[in-house]
Amino acid sequence: MDRRSFVGFVAPSVLAMLLLILVPLLGTAWLSLHESYVKTELAEVRTTVPLFGGLSREDVRRVPQAVRDAAGNPVHVWNFVGLDNFANVLGLDRLGQAMAATPVRIGQLYRDVTSIEFWGALEFSLLYIAATTPCVLLLGFALALAVDATSRRVRGALIFASLLPFIITPVVGALSIYWLFLDNAIVNAGLQGLGFAKFYFLSGALPIRSLIILYGVWHATPFAFVVLYAGLQTLPQDALEAALVDGATRWQRLWLVIVPHLVPLFVFVGLIHMMDAYRVFEPVLVFGSNLYANSLQYMTYRILNTEDNYSKAAAASLLTVLGIVILLIPILRRMWRERQTA
Amino acid sequence: MKAQVSIVASAFRGGLLALWVFVAAFPFAWMALISLRSPVDAFAQPPLLLAPLSFAHFHQIWVIDGFWRQAFNSTVITVGTVGVSLSLGCLAAYALARYRGAAGFWLLMVALVFRAMPHVVLLTAYKPAFFQLGLWDRYETLIIVLVAINQPFTIWMLRSFFVNIPAELDEAALVDGCTRLQAFWRVIMPVMWPGVITAGLFSFLLAYNDYLISSQLMNGDHMTMTAALSNYMNANDDAVKLLTGIAGAVSVCIPLIFLILFFQRQIVAGLVQGAVKG
Repeated sequence: MDRRSFVGFVAPSVLAMLLLILVPLLGTAWLSLHESYVKTELAEVRTTVPLFGGLSREDVRRVPQAVRDAAGNPVHVWNFVGLDNFANVLGLDRLGQAMAATPVRIGQLYRDVTSIEFWGALEFSLLYIAATTPCVLLLGFALALAVDATSRRVRGALIFASLLPFIITPVVGALSIYWLFLDNAIVNAGLQGLGFAKFYFLSGALPIRSLIILYGVWHATPFAFVVLYAGLQTLPQDALEAALVDGATRWQRLWLVIVPHLVPLFVFVGLIHMMDAYRVFEPVLVFGSNLYANSLQYMTYRILNTEDNYSKAAAASLLTVLGIVILLIPILRRMWRERQTA
Repeated sequence: MKAQVSIVASAFRGGLLALWVFVAAFPFAWMALISLRSPVDAFAQPPLLLAPLSFAHFHQIWVIDGFWRQAFNSTVITVGTVGVSLSLGCLAAYALARYRGAAGFWLLMVALVFRAMPHVVLLTAYKPAFFQLGLWDRYETLIIVLVAINQPFTIWMLRSFFVNIPAELDEAALVDGCTRLQAFWRVIMPVMWPGVITAGLFSFLLAYNDYLISSQLMNGDHMTMTAALSNYMNANDDAVKLLTGIAGAVSVCIPLIFLILFFQRQIVAGLVQGAVKG
């Protein structure tokens, strides 16, 4: 295909991405370096206060008022503030105080730092990645092996049930788990039926964080399962038979033939999952407040909505993007090397 | 291999699978069950297996709260997004599969970065810009935004399908006097339908499942079903409202369950496609 027709074919798609991904990204960068406020001026307000007998007095007060443009909209002023918004998001002043405290106690320092919203959100985002990734891979692999060994007739039904947590709307999935753990819902009712005391799952950091991680494993395992299951269908049969002839045990076959064959898929699923886990949003939204668990994407959403501070949200966004770029570097480097060799 | 499978191993396997199926499906099954009950029965102590059925919560949300409007919005948004996404995506992916130059490689790299980007980053810029431009709360805006967000994923997936179609096919068409566009439309597209359906399913899921962007760019009456669920969150103390929300969540699930039932094979193919191609 020649260059001209290539450009023609990709133009609409590239234009859409340019206008609605690249330009907004640059806009976010611009916002993060600026601060806006509504321009105000002191306006004289004259009011006529009626006195008695038809007399009246004129009151003059000076009140701050928004300056309006010709169309009657308030005029926004944008000031360049350098990296102030980033310092604000990173909580540099509080970070400095925490660092300067003497004597240095690691535990206290860690608590002080993670009590700053950004570092707390980063902490939980990383914790979420670290906790869910191995569980998703292991459970997905175990399920793939188990389904592979069952008879064909039930496989379709097993795959159908497995896809539910992955395909169904994340907000709905998170809510469906959340609703199970309400104070008066089925899990607590079951616990009490078995003679346990009532457990308040939705108050306190540890249970909420555990539930969010549980949701993450539940939601992402089907993806790992499906990909690894497909990988099992492409196993080299002659290698398996050779191992059998050589008297390899089940474990040896698993470790020496099956797992090495699937390593690229483990890497692929792991990387995709880490990318998606890094931007975890829905369960944090559903399970509650940023008091107990926060994530980078949820933090930006909160700044945008409740603080209504576009500049600070932009700075938080860009810091989040920085993290995703770091995560992506190994993948991009591999693609680059593959292209060089090809 | 089968001969050596011990009873213990197969019992363990059966147990694992049974447990997983239970865990995967139970939250949805329970949600569906209690959405059909009166508040007293739904949160009865101990839990009831059987209770009188009532469609009161569905009546409440669909008729009284007007959820049918949100269902209509969801339909418009998802159909629009899938249609535009596939049109733009097929053209670009076909070119990326056939062009050998460096520009194609760079485009794919950039698309990969865009695909990984948290959506709230874009939302930060959309909010003030769309407000200024008066593009707020319009179907077209949400559709084109979802299309753009979805493009990186769509062109990667479609490209891996186009690569599998032998290039000899379009070369033969070109020799016979077709233009590129004719070769693409008359010769390649007719054999691309499996790929188009798979990519369409994933576009559908993205548009239908999106909460973050849809709940922010649209107001009340224009919200999609998924975004409108936010009205019923955090209503734990009000059992009636909670159950109305649960009925809404169940309603959101129903199209997806049919989607999995009819297109299970294509969904699996789509998930696997990326892995096989690396």
